[in-house]
Amino acid sequence: MEKAEVLDYAKIGFKSGLEIHQQLDAGKLFCSCPGFLRTEKPDFEISRKLHAIAGESGEIDEAVKHEASFDREFIYQGYNETTCLVELDEAPPKFINEEALDIVIQIALLLNCEIIPVTQIMRKTVIDGSNTGGFQRSVMIAKDGCIDTKEGKVRIKSIVLEEDAARIISKEKEKAVYRLDRLGIPLIEIATEPDMKNPEQVKESALYLGDILRACKVKRGIGTIRQDVNISIKGHPRVEIKGFQDVKMFIPTIEKEIERQQKSNDKKSEVRKAEPDGTTTFMRPMPGSARMYPETDLPLLHISRGRINNLKANLPKLRKDIKEELKQRGLNDEMIHLIVSENKVEEFKSLLPLSKDANLIAKMLVLWPKDFSRKLNKIVEFETDVIESVLDAVRKNKIGISNVQDVLFDIANGKKLEDAMKINNINLDELENFIAILIKEKPGLSIGGYMGLIMQKFKGKISGKEIADALKKYVK
Amino acid sequence: MEIRNLKPGQRAALHTKQGDFECVVLESPQSGIILIKLDSGYNIGIREEEILDIKIIKEEKEKRGSEEEIKIEKNLPNVALVSTGGTISSRLDYKTGAVKWLNPELFKICNIARIETPFMKASENMGPEDWEIISEKVAEMLNDNEIDGVIVTHGTDFLHYTASALAFSLGKIGKPVAITYSQRSSDRGSSDARLNLVCAARFAVSDIADVALIGHANSGDEYCYALPATKSRKMHSSRRDTFRAINAKPIAKIYPDRIELIDKYNPRDDKIKINAKSKFSEKAALVKFYPNQNPDILDYYINQGYKGIVVEASGLGHVITEGKNNWIPKLKKVIKSGFVVCAAPQTIYGELQPYVYSAGRELEKTGIIYLKDILPETALVKLSWVLANPALKKDIRESMLNNFAREFNPRISEDEFLN
Repeated sequence: MEKAEVLDYAKIGFKSGLEIHQQLDAGKLFCSCPGFLRTEKPDFEISRKLHAIAGESGEIDEAVKHEASFDREFIYQGYNETTCLVELDEAPPKFINEEALDIVIQIALLLNCEIIPVTQIMRKTVIDGSNTGGFQRSVMIAKDGCIDTKEGKVRIKSIVLEEDAARIISKEKEKAVYRLDRLGIPLIEIATEPDMKNPEQVKESALYLGDILRACKVKRGIGTIRQDVNISIKGHPRVEIKGFQDVKMFIPTIEKEIERQQKSNDKKSEVRKAEPDGTTTFMRPMPGSARMYPETDLPLLHISRGRINNLKANLPKLRKDIKEELKQRGLNDEMIHLIVSENKVEEFKSLLPLSKDANLIAKMLVLWPKDFSRKLNKIVEFETDVIESVLDAVRKNKIGISNVQDVLFDIANGKKLEDAMKINNINLDELENFIAILIKEKPGLSIGGYMGLIMQKFKGKISGKEIADALKKYVK
Repeated sequence: MEIRNLKPGQRAALHTKQGDFECVVLESPQSGIILIKLDSGYNIGIREEEILDIKIIKEEKEKRGSEEEIKIEKNLPNVALVSTGGTISSRLDYKTGAVKWLNPELFKICNIARIETPFMKASENMGPEDWEIISEKVAEMLNDNEIDGVIVTHGTDFLHYTASALAFSLGKIGKPVAITYSQRSSDRGSSDARLNLVCAARFAVSDIADVALIGHANSGDEYCYALPATKSRKMHSSRRDTFRAINAKPIAKIYPDRIELIDKYNPRDDKIKINAKSKFSEKAALVKFYPNQNPDILDYYINQGYKGIVVEASGLGHVITEGKNNWIPKLKKVIKSGFVVCAAPQTIYGELQPYVYSAGRELEKTGIIYLKDILPETALVKLSWVLANPALKKDIRESMLNNFAREFNPRISEDEFLN
């Protein structure tokens, strides 16, 4: 689209909402299996079929019908050590993972939502094979929140905790292979109201929500976050675009989708997939509420006031708040960026009581390790207790601030902490200076007499031989 | 409007301390909480005291009755279905008797020519009287010239008891009787009922004239086993392939479209008419022997009017034979008074052999009946059946040791353990 044709979003009645799915950094939601992906050869495979079934209302959901129209065989791959009967749909869910629930409540509180005190775990019918049970367990935790953007408020409609689906390995017409390592990993789903008025605002909101998520205990890296965008314009029903990997693609994809909707004769509500080139392709009809029915294997979920208050009192800080705080400590932008991006904020803060020099701590924590890594051609990272010891030595004047970098380099280069500090804490100039003054002030003493006085002053920091060597220059 | 007037199915507007909701009211699993369905499909609960105002928008939707009729295809065999409850029929509409819970593949194999629902019970709520009802019903269907085989659907937990009961009471049959179940309810896409029912139908139209449990052979959805009624047991609390053949082989592998035979079977003979011995006594009991168990437990059953008991004995068939809880004097006394005491292996697998140790030889002399490799559950049903049938009761020892329904395996082979 050329610049001249910039769209008037208000005029076309553009409305957009976001739906973000983010994996939480916790064990599986309904069993005791760990939540990580595996690459080795699976220990076993099980072949299953799934069938369309009617929801509570007695009707079969449109999206479910669409999936059921392929009579596929599903192969599930698992590992004896990290897959249990729950993922295999051979045993009922054991519980809801309390840690995952806490993380979701925290995120909901950060998004100004109301926590729902009594809620029910639901089964959302999914029969594309990605869930062994034929449904995804999902529970609404909070509602009615909001975030602020430059162009106004965006309301948060709902916060849902759900289980991730199995991972697709291969898909053919009659057979699909899924791996169970991902099935059951806890996911948060954040859905906004369609309050965003242009693609720029969609992007800003997504970035802000991402910032909040990263402040909490969520998984990081490719595939751990999935972003869907709902779009509608005047004269075309809502379309959902799934699978944005990169926030950068938001604006071009939305622009192309509007163009498609404006040109399309077939104006139906559907789910479409975001392609890497910014276009979208049809995935399936829009699912309705007919595919939700209760998970009868678990009781109603109660979230107590006490639990909410407890979590509220210990909310993690947002990235932008952290940056502001670091700035006030006197750090420059480069240091702030390094500390935040390397996830060293907590460590940085824990070291602050040991030194007034925030910049020194930041250099020790993030800047010098980088330099040393380059010089030594290996990854250098210092344990917190090493940095603590060095800072402590500085505080007690055992080593000067100007020596800190050398001490750390020696440690990085393989020296023991004590040895590195011993050698570097002697400033020989300082020693000779002291000797010169001493001889002037107390002339005529024996070597042994001078030795005694010098040892008193530099006790433990320097060997007798080094003192004797220095003395020999002045006392014949 | 008051909370107690809220009824499941109504669409209502609720004004609550948590906010306003337009929703459908649901049946709540917990008192004091109103469960509602939001338009998103999610259910949430509202504590009754948080509800400030209620407005009914629409009354309960009338449940649509099923218009489905049973269709008969002339060129397909006819199968009769006895539905008794349990997870497998949790979707059965009791009022209309609709067949929509039966999957379409089933109707490619056979006509469901008759459906009977004598009762809907979870299997733990069944007993000798229910075994009798089911047995009479199945016998009548088998004697129907139009019917080629029978399927019984049943709750899983005590299904093997009913299967044994049918095997004993029906005697020699000429048509297949499939008894099947489900471990995953039919309201989920992954329900095992689908394959189990299709394979039960495949079995019911086969030439295998045995009572057999039909269910998943493994965790996958490829094929089922037909398991011998008296030699099968529920071995897992939740897996699809929970039923296993014990001290025996499966009769056959049942695929939706074919059967692979594994063991010997009784061939079909449509001319055989059945005169079922369907009575079962309530006065038979089953106890598990454990270390230091006081034999006075037997007095409890005698005082309650029981006529016999199956003791799950340890190892090769032992109970305590010395010290303060010595069972021998008690056994001698109660057996002499006419109380029947049988022993079955609590190891589940293997056979009792009382002569290996002197303790066993001592026990043998008390008159306890050693039931070889029988399953304890099958032994209970057999004792219940023998006690209720005057002809069999005449010589209880002989009846209990007679191999009526393949409950004893005279030759246990290597592959009949944990298979």
